[in-house]
Amino acid sequence: MNEDVEVEIVVVEDDPNDAELILRVLKKHNLANKLVHLEDGAQALDYLLKKPPSKRSNGANLPRVVLLDLKLPKVDGLEILRQMKADERAKKIPVVILTSSREDRDIVNAYALGVNSYVTKPIRFDEFAKVVSDLGMYWVLMNKAPHK
Amino acid sequence: MSTAKDFPGKNVDRVEQPEENYRATLNIIEDLDEERLKSAGTQTALLNMLEDFDEERAKGADTQTALVNMLEDIEDSRLRAEETRANLAQVNKELEGFSYSVSHDLRAPLRAISGFAQALREDEGDRLDADGLRYLDLIQDNAHRMGQLIDDLLAFSRLGRQQMVEDIVDLDVLARSVFSDLAQQEKGREIEFVESGSPTARGDAAMLRQVLQNLIGNAIKFTRTKDRTRVEFGYDPEQGGGAYYVRDNGVGFDMQYANKLFGVFQRLHSAKEFEGTGVGLALVNRIVARHGGRTWAVGKVDEGATFFFTLPGRRSE
Repeated sequence: MNEDVEVEIVVVEDDPNDAELILRVLKKHNLANKLVHLEDGAQALDYLLKKPPSKRSNGANLPRVVLLDLKLPKVDGLEILRQMKADERAKKIPVVILTSSREDRDIVNAYALGVNSYVTKPIRFDEFAKVVSDLGMYWVLMNKAPHK
Repeated sequence: MSTAKDFPGKNVDRVEQPEENYRATLNIIEDLDEERLKSAGTQTALLNMLEDFDEERAKGADTQTALVNMLEDIEDSRLRAEETRANLAQVNKELEGFSYSVSHDLRAPLRAISGFAQALREDEGDRLDADGLRYLDLIQDNAHRMGQLIDDLLAFSRLGRQQMVEDIVDLDVLARSVFSDLAQQEKGREIEFVESGSPTARGDAAMLRQVLQNLIGNAIKFTRTKDRTRVEFGYDPEQGGGAYYVRDNGVGFDMQYANKLFGVFQRLHSAKEFEGTGVGLALVNRIVARHGGRTWAVGKVDEGATFFFTLPGRRSE
């Protein structure tokens, strides 16, 4: 991926079906132009915690939101969240957990680590599509980011 | 007696004196003998006491051994109980892990099924005929149904592990709130709700709400084919030593299948007649059992059904 391209949405999702459906929905709402899809936890850490190139000012061009799955190969979502919130630069990026898990302990842990939002993936695709497009609209178009 | 002659001049005295001496001596000897006997007695008594003491000591030792044995037994059962508890904790942990992956991993394929069916409808819908579109509906309906099943089963399995929070619960208030929630989702239906006043109960309010949600929800569901719907919540002191009940005037059931009502996945109606996963009443049964009560039902085909449950911890009449 080209580092100079401004990225708005980072999707961290290992399930290719979910990823394709998320991308499909965002594309339909014209929200997928500046989108990066990462397939495992190691890739996500690499991408999100990388040092900004010197030509950029610190904090500029940070993604407007990260949609983060919990169950991921190599490094799980909560660990990614923990490392992001412990990093001076990455902690400014809003993180939305988008997961199938409705387990209380996941929700509690995610908020304890400072997640910005926690959303469960509905089973029904029509509901799922609505959740994804709402998230895209809200975080890309409505939410005021600290670094923009 | 001849000795009396050895003391002449003192006739009377002398005759009597030896006799007295003799007696005195005898007395002394007797006394001595008595003393001897007494002392022998004392000795025997002492010996006996010593023996008794020894016995007591032996008994004490026995008692001590018994106590030690008991302590060992107690320690044994304590260890066994601890082992059982550890096993139980392990099983619970495994179960938790199981339901965690069920909730996570079983949902994902379902969403893909319903999602790509939808994608097909959106992208290729105009090339499908009525049957083709209906098949897409069926695919999505079934994916949704399976999701419901997973949710219900998870709720059911979680119940066994969930900690109970005991409280005094006003079931009338609970029933009213459950009914108004459920009735709101039934647009265009006239549903009469009758409440005959019930004693408060001791139990977990959230769990008891689930009981009423399932029973009143069923009452509303199985009266759908009737013109007039009547759902009643009450308490009957004559039934099973006092039981709460939910009664409806719906399709009822054949009493010969009454034993199947509360089993997991057991249904008396096809999904076509009345939707459902067959978990609701099993959940009711499990919650009531955890409260120490029992459930049963009475019904007749086309003449409604009454579901009873007892809560032994009830407080007031």
